[in-house]
This record gives sequence, structure tokens and C-alpha cells, in this order.
Amino acid sequence: MPVTGIDDRIVRTDAAAKARGEAKYACDLSFPDMLYAYMVRSSIPRGTIDSVKVPTLPDGYYFISAEDIPPEGKNELWMIQKDWRCFAEGDVRYVGETIGLLVGPDRNMLKYLLDHLEIKYTEGVPAVTIDDAIACKGGPIVGEDNIHCQLYVEKGKPMSEVFAEADSIFEETIETGFQEHVHLETNAAIVTEEDGHYVFYVSAQCPFYVRKSVAGLLGLNPEDIIVRQTTTGGAFGGKEHFPDVLCGPLLVAEHRIHKPIKLIFDREEDMLYSVKRHPSKVTYKTALDKDGNILGIEGLVYYNCGAYLSSSYVVLQRGVFHANGVYDFPNTYVKGIGVATNTFPSDAFRGFGAPQTLFAIETHLDHIARKFGFDPAEYKSRYFIKQGGETITNGHIVERVMLPEMMKQVVDASDYFRKAKEYGTGSGKGIGISFYNHGGAFTGNGEQAIIKAHARLVKTGGRVRIEVGSTEMGQGFQTALRKIAAATLGISIDQIDYDNPDTSKVCDSGPTAASRSTMIVGRLVQRCGEEMKERWDEGDFSVEKEYEHPEGHPWDQSTFRGDAYLGYGWGCAVVEVEADRLTNEIKVTGIWSSHDIGHAIDELIVHGQINGGIAQSIGYAAMEKMENRNGHFRQSSMSDYVIPTSMEFPEQKWFLVENPYQWGPFGAKGMGELVFNGADAAYIDAVERALGITVRRIPMPPEDIEEALADAQ
Amino acid sequence: MLSKIEFKVNGRNTVFSGNPLTRLIDVLREDLGLTGVKEGCGEGECGACSVIKDGKLVTSCIIPVGAVNGSEIYTIEGIRDTEKGKCLVESFAEGGAVQCGFCIPGMVMAAYALLSENPHPTDEEIRKGISGNICRCTGYDLIVASIRLAADKGGDLWA
Amino acid sequence: MGMTYIPSALSEALQLRAGTGARPLAGGTDMMVQAKRGIGLAPEFPYPVMIISGLDELKGIKAREDGTVEIGALSTPAEIAASPLVPWHVRMAAAGMGAVALRNSATIGGNIGNASPKGDLPQPLILLEAEVILVSMHGEKKMLLDDFILGSKKTALRDDELIKSILIPPHSFTYSYYRKIGMRRANAISKLSLSAAAVVKDGEIVDFRAASGAAGPKVIRSHEAEAMIKGHRTEEIPDILDGFLAAWDGAISPHAMPVYRRNTTKRMLSFFLESIFNGSEPGIIGGEV
Repeated sequence: MPVTGIDDRIVRTDAAAKARGEAKYACDLSFPDMLYAYMVRSSIPRGTIDSVKVPTLPDGYYFISAEDIPPEGKNELWMIQKDWRCFAEGDVRYVGETIGLLVGPDRNMLKYLLDHLEIKYTEGVPAVTIDDAIACKGGPIVGEDNIHCQLYVEKGKPMSEVFAEADSIFEETIETGFQEHVHLETNAAIVTEEDGHYVFYVSAQCPFYVRKSVAGLLGLNPEDIIVRQTTTGGAFGGKEHFPDVLCGPLLVAEHRIHKPIKLIFDREEDMLYSVKRHPSKVTYKTALDKDGNILGIEGLVYYNCGAYLSSSYVVLQRGVFHANGVYDFPNTYVKGIGVATNTFPSDAFRGFGAPQTLFAIETHLDHIARKFGFDPAEYKSRYFIKQGGETITNGHIVERVMLPEMMKQVVDASDYFRKAKEYGTGSGKGIGISFYNHGGAFTGNGEQAIIKAHARLVKTGGRVRIEVGSTEMGQGFQTALRKIAAATLGISIDQIDYDNPDTSKVCDSGPTAASRSTMIVGRLVQRCGEEMKERWDEGDFSVEKEYEHPEGHPWDQSTFRGDAYLGYGWGCAVVEVEADRLTNEIKVTGIWSSHDIGHAIDELIVHGQINGGIAQSIGYAAMEKMENRNGHFRQSSMSDYVIPTSMEFPEQKWFLVENPYQWGPFGAKGMGELVFNGADAAYIDAVERALGITVRRIPMPPEDIEEALADAQ
Repeated sequence: MLSKIEFKVNGRNTVFSGNPLTRLIDVLREDLGLTGVKEGCGEGECGACSVIKDGKLVTSCIIPVGAVNGSEIYTIEGIRDTEKGKCLVESFAEGGAVQCGFCIPGMVMAAYALLSENPHPTDEEIRKGISGNICRCTGYDLIVASIRLAADKGGDLWA
Repeated sequence: MGMTYIPSALSEALQLRAGTGARPLAGGTDMMVQAKRGIGLAPEFPYPVMIISGLDELKGIKAREDGTVEIGALSTPAEIAASPLVPWHVRMAAAGMGAVALRNSATIGGNIGNASPKGDLPQPLILLEAEVILVSMHGEKKMLLDDFILGSKKTALRDDELIKSILIPPHSFTYSYYRKIGMRRANAISKLSLSAAAVVKDGEIVDFRAASGAAGPKVIRSHEAEAMIKGHRTEEIPDILDGFLAAWDGAISPHAMPVYRRNTTKRMLSFFLESIFNGSEPGIIGGEV
């Protein structure tokens, strides 16, 4: 078998089985005597539960609730905090909160029981929006002020001094909405018992998270529970912590019933009753001199976290750390506040808090540039941060920053400057540009302090098995990691095995999140491979390695000062549009991007990630509208929450720059989230120019453009 | 009036005598074990459950089995080992069309229906042909390229 | 939950219809979605249903000698869009419905019978003054589609009747316009739609019609507003345009996105009439979008 080189063009290892319909997703599995489960959920956003009247259950049917948690267990899911309850008890805090589980053999009967189960509530007044939360509408949900979490970062002089020196101050508030993941495979999990262990088969990004989160419900240790990831049909963050919300109640049910139990959400449930991207409201107040130079920026970032904290504090931190974009402003002060509302808890979604502030800063800078008569690309490029430049957290940029080269690539390819001038403002045609980045892996020293990832390679004869907890969810990691192992060992990729992880068999290599898998786990596997290659002739053996933090990256998690990330991915996007003046429909006529991801492990996979991330990002800005009225999401299907089809956008032009990253495998950095982080702002910039409007919120479907046009007149 | 429903699935005779409103997708997946047919939305909006009924692409999640009496149904399982099916699967794999894969069996069926009617489609025609098949991962470019590849590689296969 | 029947001939279907009131289900694209209950569960209807997709008597598209086109109730949007017999406005609407799979399953009878304000086909059919043929055990009757659809999800279909076919009278327009605005560029439910048509002879507008879809509980035609254009000369359009637009605006009643729907309708109608005023080449105004 030929040796696989890291730059060889190869075929994804999972492609054929998926295309042939042979890959088994959780919904495709069934077990003898398997029962089905339906969630009993809160139908109100806030209130107390006065009574739950369960209809008489036929033999073999069960209603599972908090009362079924044994005395040694606690009614909590351990995500980052333990505030999210497995079952609502006494009160409910959002529409869709789990109250119980109906379990039994026949789905028709379960549906009948579900329809006849009566819950009586005393309803409270829900807080739904960020403004509601700030006003403590209906009384605080958490603490005394509805604040789940907050932090600030400061760089340079105090902003009061900066504002005093300014010739003018430009202030505006920019808002982003909920976004639903719409992974094509809905959430699904099966629990069973095998050899005295509780075993989960689950569509999930982080099998080790699941076992840690649910074990406490029965007073067990995480190791007592086995989690097997099933082929996962898309995740985008939506299956990072959320599978815990399915698996918790299932574990309690299994404890009582001892039969295989399957819980699958249909699309309507997945739309209405799952986590979403945090809505945001970001106010920038920028001090400018008379020529339009930026003296300093003050930012106030609000994220709507929903009823429980989940991972919101970390999301908010990332939002704050990306709130100055790719720029080196002399003075900044950014405060982030995560508020509690009676909406479904917001959680991880590709970009993890960075897209909201990056959209806000890019749009804000566009507005300043326009006000002073500068081209946004030219204006922004003056402030590009450079290697060694001070970050918003008083750390430094470690790597060479290639934004000028990247900008040149997309500007030349798209003919940006000619078109920008020729189209002008309000001509119906527009071209927009944005710059963005994404800090790779966990914040600060989190990889060392919290995750402590392990990876293992096992050699049996001429074959090598990768044993890590990292998951394939569509992003191509099973192929990329095999490729890294093969290229390191100097063998063929066909000699490498890497199955969907089983927590009882593989190392905990940390969550498949934060664009950390290639950069961190890939490097670990490379280190294992390097040792294995040296010892190749020793027969059958295994090599296991633990994460080692590179020296010289100070970080203080209590003050948020230092190197927030070990390295960044960088991006630049240009989007061109044509507006239909009769209908305000926007047609995207061109998309160009350039990314710095260190070195691409597999260009074809990277190509697919770029295309998908950019389409998702423009969808976020253009059409993906998820509204919440009085605590209820209004969009419940794929016909009213629309995501891009194949007809939406033209073929994308894309570029990479080569900038090998010192601590990544073969020079690779993270890229899965980066590619989502900026096309939204380029699209809105283009729309603003085409129509001569100012946009301060997304999404912007034609009916919202109508309003903006009215405002502009 | 019909009391039982007789139809062919992937060339095999099938008789169904339950509730005629049973969704075709449930008969295919649960009764016949054809789990390559995926349920993405349950309302004909996403195309993951696409099958070919009497030569036409349809979404099996909104067709009652009572409406397929006398019909011939093909699922991914019925085409994947045909020359055309193999050509599509190989092209999708080589061309980088597959990420999470959940939409892909339906996408392959849509491509099969498209190329069977139009062996040399333009990119625009390809995009139109798969516009009812929603993919959240790829942004579609590599799916379009892979279908183009299948049309080129397949040559006479599709004519 | 009602019974489900599968008649194998129209006569049997009509007997069932008269006897049980069973409602017809053909493509399922509306009804199966409305009654869906989730994965692994058959939809349930609170009334009896009959699956009529196998009734050959309700299929086919034919042209009559006088130029009238008869479209069988079970004709799919794919068949309608591909038929050279079918007038342009209707073909455009059929081609813009959903995506490939839906266009192979949905039926014109279902699209009309469901009477959703967002349905795509009633709008151009009402513009063209199409009639619907209703059949029962007692025979057939004809009525204007505009009279048949009473409002959102309401029709004049009697409990013993089925929609047999749709008749489109012949016409020859000098100018035609059709536009559907969906929530995205493909595979989308209509947010708003508009058809318009005019016959101009020697500079005089002898016929003018418009129909708005998704702008009220049912497709809107305003004969009063149309009359404000008819009989005028094309060079008078600038003088009568504002009055006409105001009258049309008074006729539509969009529930959601009222500003957008009203303004967009006005802009599209203005565009159509101004194109005529400006002496556009006869044919389709605005291209085939």
C-alpha cells in the first residue's frame, strides 16, 4: 500500500458508506424489546407547576420524572455548571423544559398518553428579550439582576480619558438574532444496558461530556457509564452539550425500566425545543479624531443566555475576546454581560460567541468608514493587528498575520476596488468586505488546566488504531486524523483504523468543539505517531500522550489577561450582491474568501468546510429568522425557518495562505468555526452599499430591508 | 376498493395491509429495513427521504402508502449497486460532496433522477435539480461538482 | 379519527364521498403535513379520508376545440409546467412551486381544494378566469374558481362533490407579468405573488387584469380597480396610475408583513404599467424569473 502524504488528495473514509445509505445513525438503530420515549415538556415560559395528571398507564408504560431520581442522585446535568435541571421540579423556566418522559412500546399509545397528560400551571410573566432581562421583567430569574455571567477586558488608557480627547464619538447598537443549527439529523439517543453497564448510543459531539453530565443523576461515576457515538448527521455546536438533555432523562428511565429506550426528536421538536445561537446586542462607542482615526473603542456586549447557564459564560468570554475584530486599536474597554431570560437556553453554535461581536465590529467600522468617506477595506486595513501586537486581553499575537496578503487575494480576484467605486451607493449593486479571525482551541490555558487531553495509538501487526474521544460529525475529522497518523508513521491511510468513539475504549481527548481537534488532538496523535515510528519494529504496542502546553503564553483566568488563544485562524471575505428594486430580494452574485488556517491537512475537506461555513453565515445574515414571542419560538419547521438551498448562492471562489503553525500537526490550525465568522458582515456591507441603507441588525430578509429603506428616506 | 396495497420496492413485490395513511417512509425504514432513506423534516421540505416512484423523484415522508398501489419504488438501496448508482456514489466520494452524510442518500436519488432525464445538465440545471434537497454542511458547491463529475464519468450510462 | 378509503374508480369515489363525506387526499403535500404526528406514526384526520391518487378519470391535460384548456384535478405541477397547452402564467406558477419532488407529487386539485392563501396555482388561474368542474353522483357543474374559493382554507365544495378538472378559457395578452416572492430563491412557500396581463390594441388598453396571491385570505382581483385602467390609452397611464394603485392597495389585505406586501405589490404593478407606457415590446414584462 502506498504511503499517504499529508498533501495527497484522498477520498474521505466515510464518504462511500454514507452515500450508499449504509452508515448507521442513531435513528437507524433498534434493539430487541426496545421501547420509545417522548418528552413531556413545559408549555409555558415561566411559572409554577401546580399539578401533573398522568392518565392511567397501561402495562409496560411509564412516566418518568424527577421523582424517579434515586436518593443518591441529584436532579442536575453537569455541563460547565450544574444549574440545568434534568427534570423541571416545582417550577418551569422556559417553553420546552423537560418535565418528564413517557416510555413504552407503542408510539401511538405514547402519543395518546402525551395528548391526555394534563399539567396545570400558575403562569408568571416571562422575560424574553435582552431588554426584558435588563428590566427584570417578571422579577429576576437568576440572582437579583438577571445576570448569569459577566466580565470585562481593558487595554490602554481609561476610556474616560480617551473620550475627553476625542473630536467626535460615534455610538451605535447592533443586534443579531437566534440561529437554529438545523443539522439534518435531529437529536437522537438510545439507552440500554450491556454487561451491567448503562450504555448510550447517541448522536453527539462529545461522548465524554455526556457521561460526566448524567452520571450524578444516579450517584454514579462517569466511568460507570458507556457512551458510544453514532454516526452524527451534523452538529455545529448543537450536539455539544444538548445531548445531555436527552440522555439525562433516559438514564433515569433506564434505571427504572431496564430495557433499551429510544428517544428521537422529530424536526418540529428539534426546532422548537433545542438550543440556539445566543441573540446579541452590542453597543460600540468609538472615540475619533477629526480625520476619522480611531482613538479608542468602548463596547458593551449583551448575550441572551436563556434560562440556564450551560456554556454561556465561555461563549460570552469568546464574544468579548473577539469584540475588537482583527484590529489593534490603541485603547479598548469591553464589558460582556450574559443575561437570563425565559427562553430555551442558548448554547454552542459554530463560532461560539465570536460571530456576534465580529459582525458588530465589522459593521460598526463600515459605518465609521462611510461617515468619513473612506473605503471600508482601506480604512479597516490601517488597523490590522500584526505579529507581536497587543490583543484586547493584553496578550500578544504569536503568529505572523497575513491579512494584507489575504486581502490582496480577494480584492484582486473580485475586482473589489473597481466595483466598489463603480457601483457607488444605492445603485442596486453592491460589493462588501469583511475581516475576521477565530482563536483556536480552549481559551487561555484551558487545554492544560481543564481538558488535559490524551490520545493513543495502538499497533497490531501492520495496522494502527487511533483511540481518541474526538468525533466525526461531518467536518471530516476521521479522515484528517487518519491522514495525520499515516503521514507521521509513513504508512498508508488504509492501515489506520479510527472508529466512532466508545468512552470505555478510548482516551478522553476533550470535546470535539472550539476548532481544537486538528490543532490539539491532531498534534497529540502526531506525537504518538512519531514515537511509534521510532519503535515500529518492537511488535504490537501502544503509545499514549498527554497534552503539553507550549511555553511562554501567560494567561490569568481570573482577570482574563494574557494570551487568550495560542493561535488564530484568519479570514477575509468579499460578497457581491444585486438587489431587486421591486421586491428587495437580494441575489448574491459573487463570493470570494481567503483563509489562514496554518496548513491545510486536506484541501478537499477544507474546501467543503469553507463553502458550508460561508453559506451558513450568509444564511444567518440574510434569511434565517427565528423569532420568539412571549417565550415561544414562532418558526417550527424547515418551511418557515429557511436555510440556504442550492439555488441561493453562486459557486464560491476561495483561497488559502500558507502560514504553518508551530504547534499544530504539519502546521495546521483550527478552521471549522473560522469559516463561519465573517461572510455575514461582508454580505450586509454589500447590501448596505447596494441600497444605500444602514443595517444594525440581522437577519435582514426583504421585509426588514423595506423598513430600512423607509428609515433611509 | 382496495383492502391491501401492492407495490414494488427495489424490484421486489411488497404487500401492505395496515393503515393506508402510514407514511411511505415508515414502511420503507421500519417494515423493510431500508434505513438509507432518512427523515430530516417529515414534511417534504428537506429531501432527505427522497425516493423514486414510477421514475419520478418524490419525498417519501408525505406520501401515504395507500397512494403507491401498483407503483414501483426505488430507494438508495435499490440503486447503489447499479452502474448508475455506483457512478454517483464514487463521484460523490471523489468530489468531496459528503460531509455529515445525512442528506446524501436523498441527494444521490435526486442526482439519479436528474441525470436520468438530463444526462448533460448545466450547473444551473444541477442546482435546480437538487434545490429540494437541503444540505447544511457543504454549501452545495462540491455536491454540484460531484454531480457534474458523475455526468462526465458516466457518459453513455445516462444517455 | 376517521376511516380511510382507497376507491379504484371515480364512480366509487363519488359514492364514498356521498355516503361518508370522506375528503379527497391526492399528493399528500398539504394534508399529510397538516395531519402529521411525527416519526413512525401515521397522520390522523378527524374526518374520513379517501386516497384518490389512482383515479385515472381525474388525470390529463387536454385542449378543447375552442382553445379552452382542461387540466385534470390530479395533474401535478411538473406536468402542468411542462405542458405547452397550459397558459404561461399558470406554467410559471407551477414551475415555481416547491422543488422537484413536490412538483412530482402535489396536484392542482389539491392546491385549489386546500385554498391556502399561499397556494401558488389559484392566483394565475383566477387572473385567467378559470372555472372549476365539480362532479358528484348527480352530474357535473361548473363555477368560476374565484367564486369557488371563499376564503382562507374555505371553498364552496359540497360534501358530495369532488374537483374533476379546471378549465382555462382561451386568451391572448399583449403583455404578461408573473412574479412569486418566496422566503428564499427556491423550494419556498410564497411570501407574495402577482400576475398581471394587458391587451393593447392600437394604443388602447382593451383588457387589463391583475391577481395578488398571499396578500389576503384569498387571491385578490379587483374588477373595480382594473376598470380604472381598461379603456384608457397607454399614454394616459401616468395620469391614472396613482388612482389605480390606491384602489388595488385598498383591495388587498395582507395580515403579516403588511408594509412590505403592499409596497412590493405597488412597485410591481407600477413597473408593469410603466413598461407598457414606455412602449415595451409585446410579450413578457420583466423576463422569466
